[in-house]
Amino acid sequence: MLRYAVERVVQAAVIVVFVAAISFALIHFAPGDPFSAAIDNPNVSDAIRERLRVQYGFDRPLPEQFARYVSQLARGELGWSFSHDRPVRDVLTHALPNTLLLMSIALIGSFALGVLIAVVQVSRRGSATDHVLSGASLLFLSMPDFWLAILALLAFTYWLPIFPVGGAVDPVMHEYMGLGGRILDRLRHLLLPALTLTLLAAASVARYQRAALLDVLPADYIRTARLKGLTERAILRRHALRNATLPIISLIGLSFPALLTGAVFIERVFAWPGMGYALVNAIASRDYPLVVGAVIIGSIMVMAGSFLADMLYAWADPRLRGN
Amino acid sequence: MAISVAHPTPRQSPLGRTFARIIERRPSRLALGILTAIVLVGLLAPLIAPYDPAAQPDIVLMKDLAPSPAHPFGTDPYSRDVLSRVIYGARLSLFIGLLATVVSLTLGVAYGAVAGYAGGLVDAIMMRVLDAFLAIPRLLLLVAILAAWPRLSIGALILFLGLTGWFGLSRIVRGQVLALKHAEFVTAARALGANRRRILWRHLLPNLVSPIVVAATLGVAHVIVLEAGLSYLGIGVPQPEASWGNIIRDGSDQVATLWWMSLFPGLMMVLTVMTLNVLGESLRDAYDRSW
Repeated sequence: MLRYAVERVVQAAVIVVFVAAISFALIHFAPGDPFSAAIDNPNVSDAIRERLRVQYGFDRPLPEQFARYVSQLARGELGWSFSHDRPVRDVLTHALPNTLLLMSIALIGSFALGVLIAVVQVSRRGSATDHVLSGASLLFLSMPDFWLAILALLAFTYWLPIFPVGGAVDPVMHEYMGLGGRILDRLRHLLLPALTLTLLAAASVARYQRAALLDVLPADYIRTARLKGLTERAILRRHALRNATLPIISLIGLSFPALLTGAVFIERVFAWPGMGYALVNAIASRDYPLVVGAVIIGSIMVMAGSFLADMLYAWADPRLRGN
Repeated sequence: MAISVAHPTPRQSPLGRTFARIIERRPSRLALGILTAIVLVGLLAPLIAPYDPAAQPDIVLMKDLAPSPAHPFGTDPYSRDVLSRVIYGARLSLFIGLLATVVSLTLGVAYGAVAGYAGGLVDAIMMRVLDAFLAIPRLLLLVAILAAWPRLSIGALILFLGLTGWFGLSRIVRGQVLALKHAEFVTAARALGANRRRILWRHLLPNLVSPIVVAATLGVAHVIVLEAGLSYLGIGVPQPEASWGNIIRDGSDQVATLWWMSLFPGLMMVLTVMTLNVLGESLRDAYDRSW
């Protein structure tokens, strides 16, 4: 298990360097300097532009620039955000907790909901309930994240105004609330974005889990359990679900990219001040260092997530635990 | 001495077989019908659309009109007819989805087949590179690329969508090639003197048609959603071209007042993506059963 962990860490490190190489290439082959947004201005003379190039090291040979770039990344330096006028790292460290909050609620919620739906479907397979739930999960699976978010916004903040329009807290009143009021205010703002992301993610969990359970059901030990006289429910819970846990864990690892992508759009629609919101605003204001920074951090998050899921898998599978 | 060669099944194209299986089921028949209708709408857009999708008849008096008999889907802030834009959007979204998928299929099959057939160190290196690509969420990769080049043409957008879409498929192809490489019919072909290229083209690839068709169907659906998302973020299809994502973006500043601008293009998109997903899945089922 330890050897496996070390192998995976090395693999992840190689991938991080690779991601850095891709982003480095993108920065360099993109038109203009990385900071051209700030100095692409007729009032800035060529001499100053040249001096900036030297100051930022853009006159050095490419391999040296790349080495510098990687060592900067390793120290957590992601460059300067022009639109926020502060380091990219600062912008992202402020935004990251909000995104993590949204993603972890959606992760837990979607797996709970998805597995529940799958169990209900499998225990009544072939029934109308099964078909309706299958149709519903296919519908949510086919929905673009941002469209469901827009619909939720329309339905529950405008037509049926039970939730606030956007943001993480009330822009005016939050400062004047007591502790309880502040927590409540945050929850009220969190609920709709988190619910939207949960629903989107739950759809694929339910479909996957239903298939996994149906795969297990023809197994001999299920037939034995049935012959012993166990109820369908007990069979599902004690035997089928337990053996379908491993696919759940590997699905957790696979679900991070979709969760992060969903978070980007949902944060945009609900103005939730997380990394996705920062990314979308950075695109609009052509703040390229912030865009690349968010992409790098996002990729590292996804990788860390799938690494943890792999470790969990190795730990949960007795066959892998031994060696 | 005569060598006996087993002929387990009569010659029948794998595509024809899967198509027959799809037609058997009602949901997939329905999906096929709806998809055909949407494709026809896209193809015949100039004949069906009531107005020119780019025409701005009166930007003061005719902007932001709610749905009415004259404009069933309303008008946008530039006084353009949303129904016509949605119809032309179908054309563009399907076109982009199809072409980008062709690009990624070509790359995915080539890469996977080479890796699987070469094996050994080449395969190991190629797979590690693939892992790295797979580790970056596709949307983020696209955002990083597209944000760097403002005002890209649709052709470039298609290329980038295709270039970022082949990683998963090439893994499947590699696995299949690896599994089939030592099959008896390949050994037989080699014994008969077939070279590598002939073995890959004539013997291995025909056995990969089914997973490729499944990947293509689901791939088109995925690209449509991605393109809409990118256009919604303002880095996809360049304005004023009508794509479903662009229309929703045009109304995104006033979601509440211009609800028709998000609702109708979104519905069309969900319908398209859902039918593609249904078809992709029943293709996969048909393919699984045929093994």
